[in-house]
Amino acid sequence: MKTSFPSPQSFFRQRRLRLSVVLIILIGIYVLSMTIVNFQTWTSIVKIPAGIIWLFHNFIPTERSISYLGPILYQLWRTLLVSISSTIIASLFSLVFAILGAQTTTPHPVLRIVIRFGASLLRNIPVVAWAMILLFSFKQSDFTGFLALFFMTLGYLTRAFTETIEDLDAEKLQALQAVGANYFQCVFCGVLPEAASTLTSWVLYMIENNLRDATLVGLLTGTGVGFLFDFYFKSFRYDAAGLIVLLIAILVIVLELTSTMIRRAIA
Amino acid sequence: MIENSQPKPETIQPSASHAKKITLVTKPRKILRSVLAGLTIVTIYSLATLNNSNLQLSEAFKSLGANLNAMFLHPSVGQDSWALLLRALATSVSLAMLTTLLGALIAFFIAVGAARNLAPNWLATSIKAVMAFVRAIPTILWVLIYSVVMGLGASAAVVGLTFHSVAYLVKAYSESIEETSQDTIEALKASGVGFWPIVFQAILPSIVPALLSWTFIRFEINFANAVAVGAAAGADDIGYYLFMAGSFYFNFHEVGLIVYLLLAVAIVLELVSMKLRGHYLKHN
Amino acid sequence: MLKVIQLDKTYGSNKRSLKDVNFTAQPGEVTAIIGPSGAGKTTILRSVNQLIRDDSGQILLDDQDIRQANKAELRKIRHHIGMIFQNYNLISPLTALENVLHGRLGAKSTVAGMLGLYSNEEKTEALALLDEVGLKEYAYQRCDQLSGGQQQRVGIARALMQHPKMILCDEPIASLDPKSTKIVMDILRKLAKEKQLIILINLHQVDIAMEYADHIIGINSGAIVFEGATKAVDDDVLQKIYRQADDAKAVVSANED
Repeated sequence: MKTSFPSPQSFFRQRRLRLSVVLIILIGIYVLSMTIVNFQTWTSIVKIPAGIIWLFHNFIPTERSISYLGPILYQLWRTLLVSISSTIIASLFSLVFAILGAQTTTPHPVLRIVIRFGASLLRNIPVVAWAMILLFSFKQSDFTGFLALFFMTLGYLTRAFTETIEDLDAEKLQALQAVGANYFQCVFCGVLPEAASTLTSWVLYMIENNLRDATLVGLLTGTGVGFLFDFYFKSFRYDAAGLIVLLIAILVIVLELTSTMIRRAIA
Repeated sequence: MIENSQPKPETIQPSASHAKKITLVTKPRKILRSVLAGLTIVTIYSLATLNNSNLQLSEAFKSLGANLNAMFLHPSVGQDSWALLLRALATSVSLAMLTTLLGALIAFFIAVGAARNLAPNWLATSIKAVMAFVRAIPTILWVLIYSVVMGLGASAAVVGLTFHSVAYLVKAYSESIEETSQDTIEALKASGVGFWPIVFQAILPSIVPALLSWTFIRFEINFANAVAVGAAAGADDIGYYLFMAGSFYFNFHEVGLIVYLLLAVAIVLELVSMKLRGHYLKHN
Repeated sequence: MLKVIQLDKTYGSNKRSLKDVNFTAQPGEVTAIIGPSGAGKTTILRSVNQLIRDDSGQILLDDQDIRQANKAELRKIRHHIGMIFQNYNLISPLTALENVLHGRLGAKSTVAGMLGLYSNEEKTEALALLDEVGLKEYAYQRCDQLSGGQQQRVGIARALMQHPKMILCDEPIASLDPKSTKIVMDILRKLAKEKQLIILINLHQVDIAMEYADHIIGINSGAIVFEGATKAVDDDVLQKIYRQADDAKAVVSANED
């Protein structure tokens, strides 16, 4: 025992060795990625300050940009609507799937596995792929964006809701069962009220997230504020594009603050 | 059902005094219900006004069914080659790794300045405000903005993606730092240890699991973003081929194959993250 | 020798938490500060190494006034004052050995400290100190896997690693069971004698103070009501320290909880 006791020197040597290996691997990954992507760290970093200055010169909205305010606000409003409605509709479906798929409330274990798998599938297809899958059938309409966000959200919320329901105190459910409540009574009087505020937090979070993604989807499918940005951007009306960026940032921040406030109020 | 009881909270309010004793509706519940009711109304309005004038929904769904069949049951490489697509996939993964590593390194140092238990209040507040602003602008817009300055391509993609990663990670890291116990910091301060040694010897080891887990989450986000950047800003990665196949050549077999490739990466990532988490749970 | 002269501290506008505090603590002795909770024990202890800044007075450690020190000087002085805490305040995911070595960080340059570069002698010394507090075989264990008493002993070893002139102990045994309490207090007493350290210790257990301390400081509502050898403490003295506070105590502890 005493002879095998490692000296502090060898302990630290080992530790340093492990740290070095991790560092070398990370640096290796970095260099490899740099070569594959064909990115020059230094020359690009040097350009950043100039880029920021250029940004401030060209992207600052001017008086002229105010004339674009009407269409921008309208498209921003449309984008917000699509993010909210896709989240809400998806959350209704997710709730049903989550109740059917959560360990504590599932009617059948096989159903649980099917739902888990399906949700994971939906979640792991990037929103870009959704947009491409849907674009041909649904054309350049709000509906394409709506459905793309809907499927993504469905995947995310089903998982989040399932976990929320599974985290609930099992004893409370047993107490309800003990007084003779049937399955539906358990779910509607026990599970849902208990989980309501957490579930709503997830919904609010998803709305925030979808607003950001909606811009991207719009860019790809030619709808909403994303399309408008692309349009001004490609016709070199940077001040108008800058106005859009500014307004999106404001909207996202306002949404974030509101949902934080609501979350606190309902907790 | 819940919403049905909503339209008349105001009429209930005046008589609340005598109803008070038996009401089960607490204030948070009321807020919750009105929020849900509000969102439902917005949704209904939004669905009713959704712009689908040039769209026959039943036709569209039928065509979606046919396309899904072509995509997922008959995937093929289309007019590109396996080598090309795999290389493009590698580019996307590399883009994600590069921007995550770069972002994590930069974000850690900024996060030290943004943590309220380390930095003066004014500094923490202003860094957090700037980061909130950067974060509020979607990644893809950063990439497009930088592509004007640096030209379309890898550099703009990396800088744009890194920009957003930094803003995201600063928030996550600084909150992790703020969760470390003030007492352990004080213990080292009491023995005359300076600022940076405390950060690296005391705070960093305490928050490594949290940092890793946030960084990994960001890596997953960055992979999705890298695909988006390819599609929307023409970086030469898998997103670009996805975009071309989907909206230019209308080759759904190729779209299907690319989606399968993306799913494969996602599954690998999920397995790795489960392993990582398991590793750290075991140690804690 | 530690000499505290006319220390004053005000919280907020009118609440005076320390009133004209004067006392001395000798090397080689265990000096215990006792008094009802909220009397100002922690404030005194933390004033000594200036974790709490007081309003006026002098704190002389070997004739150097800690209150007059600038930032760099203060850091140097603090390096020679060890401190142990009720909740041990170790970095829990690190090993016991690494936590002990943290006692050297204050003596290092910023870069060496950041990277945690310790010399071979320091590493050997850290292990020897762990041996001294009876924890050699736990050297490579994470601290969150150790019991409270063991963690407190790691805390003592960390303080010793600083080569201190004085160790401040802020309620060191408040979270410990009787057996661990005895181990920890025995170690502290032994250190005072063998290494001629000033041990200044906050206690709320009078019996422990009577058993281990050489010198007792009794404090009530921020003022010192007794200072002297432990032998001189009798029931009258204890009543003076604890009595009139009984009514005040209820208020104070209500505020604290």
